[in-house]
Amino acid sequence: MTIVPQPPVAQPAPNKSAETVDPVYRQIRDLVYKVSGMYKAEEKLYLLADGCARRMKQTDARTPREYWDRLTAAPSRDAELRELLNEITIGETCLFRSQPQLDALRKVILPEIVTEKVKQVTKRLRIWSAGCSTGEESYTLAMNMLEESERLLKGWTVEILATDLNDRSVETAKAGIYGDYALRNTSDLYKRKYFSTVDEKRLQVRPEVKKLIAFSRLNLQDDSKMLFMKGMDLIFCCNVLIYFDGASKSKVINHFFSDLNFGGYFFLGTSESLMKLNDQFHLVHFPGTIAYWKPSLSSGKL
Amino acid sequence: MTTSVNRTIRERVQRIETMPAIPAVFLPLLRLLNNSVDEVKLDEVVRLISYDGAIAAQCLRVAGSPLFGMAQPPKSIKGAVISLGLRRVETILLTCCLGQAFPAKKWALDPAVFWRHSLGCAMVCRKFSEKLAAADHEKAYMAGLLHDIGFMVNCLAFPKEFAMAMERACQEEVPLHEAEHSTMGFTHCETGRVLAEKWKLADDIIAVIAHHHGVGQSQKSQPLVALVHLSDLLCRTRGLGYGYYERRMVDLIADPAWAILLQEHRDLEGVDLVRFTFELDEAVGEIHALVSTVFGLAPATART
Repeated sequence: MTIVPQPPVAQPAPNKSAETVDPVYRQIRDLVYKVSGMYKAEEKLYLLADGCARRMKQTDARTPREYWDRLTAAPSRDAELRELLNEITIGETCLFRSQPQLDALRKVILPEIVTEKVKQVTKRLRIWSAGCSTGEESYTLAMNMLEESERLLKGWTVEILATDLNDRSVETAKAGIYGDYALRNTSDLYKRKYFSTVDEKRLQVRPEVKKLIAFSRLNLQDDSKMLFMKGMDLIFCCNVLIYFDGASKSKVINHFFSDLNFGGYFFLGTSESLMKLNDQFHLVHFPGTIAYWKPSLSSGKL
Repeated sequence: MTTSVNRTIRERVQRIETMPAIPAVFLPLLRLLNNSVDEVKLDEVVRLISYDGAIAAQCLRVAGSPLFGMAQPPKSIKGAVISLGLRRVETILLTCCLGQAFPAKKWALDPAVFWRHSLGCAMVCRKFSEKLAAADHEKAYMAGLLHDIGFMVNCLAFPKEFAMAMERACQEEVPLHEAEHSTMGFTHCETGRVLAEKWKLADDIIAVIAHHHGVGQSQKSQPLVALVHLSDLLCRTRGLGYGYYERRMVDLIADPAWAILLQEHRDLEGVDLVRFTFELDEAVGEIHALVSTVFGLAPATART
């Protein structure tokens, strides 16, 4: 895995956030984690503080402490927490957002699934990007699968299902046009191979990538539709469940569990936790990333 | 391990002249650690630390690092001892002693990588232990710090063989102890044990060094060995491993070590492992800085 190089320091680096961040932000961090499962690390507390600052303006809170009251007192708390989550996750989305996740997928998970499924007649891999937003994650997955199409996945059919509640997001996703910001982690090699130029500032995903993906609108809370999403090998659901209350979250996660094949994996966003909402999934670690595993029949761990 | 392999290791370890020696204050310090806090005289500790100027200076710097939770670095040894507490001072000292025992050299395993892993593991062991009310947190720190000293023995006593094992591990992306076993026929657990016995370390620390890759085989101190085993695995998935990608999935809760630890500490059940993982990430930068302080190594290389 790659980790961000640390700045050269002769002495231990002063913990800036510890000195400059109002302790109330740590309280807010813990509240956000408890309610949503989203954890803002100590060195990213300033991002939380920035988000809070923007919300403080909107809510006329003069101090972080006053804003804390807005977040914890009825009737504003649920709505305000949602607004804050919007603020702190804004602009996070881009293509190739989590390299450790992609490494785990290509180096560990795919070889394992391919071995596990080798006896099956139809060599088919099904991936679901649940809450795909404007498509960045779905296309990243598609390009990575194409990279394996002459190696691990030779002779395999890959289907990526990408769903979102928001019609406009789905339309944007279908178009597959991205600017510099969304492409900031995309290597030149991938840009040349899988994109065509729209204009000076934007690139569009090529048709051969698009044809791996079926975009559609879906409400994860629509039980009747969720029951039909069977046979998945991998499910990605990034920064979506943080907005759900405990009961709805638990219900959606149970759906995900039954929609996955045995031996399948469920990925959340890189700083999200499933908390203890499901005891059937195994929490598993890969270098630099965590996932939830539905044990395979052969593992004897069901 | 067969007796002949064991004999080879012992012979090699005896033969090399550069076998690391521990600074003079190390053993008295270990004895202090085994005393109850009520019996330790503050002045005696201060005297011990001041005995070795280099260690005293390093100790002050390390005490000031965020890893040990002090906002302002202490100005005197006595100040450090009082504000940090005896147990904490001892762990800092042991960290510094180890830095003196193994000066930075060019080894098959990059010393900076090795120390980041050892210090990272020590810190994770302590943090993990702090979640368990009945555990000895500073003992956990020391066990984490020392668990892999066998790698240093390998670098010194079996440089060629170990370099091959290291290369194989990097190439095949397999755990280092597996590559050691298939290349050399033994691992750092066996060589570490020989050094630990030579240094007359406590039995529970020897058990950790010898069995942290096979907790079930340990006759003694299984919960401590299990704690180090789990912390080691966690470090290796969060950027504090041996400098290469280990191609595998780790299921800590299904690991036999988890069950062993749970048997001793029921409060393990309440530990939020995901949040614990995220918190560990926060400390990676501090570990890099600490390694450069104690071991004089540049905090450069940006690999796992």
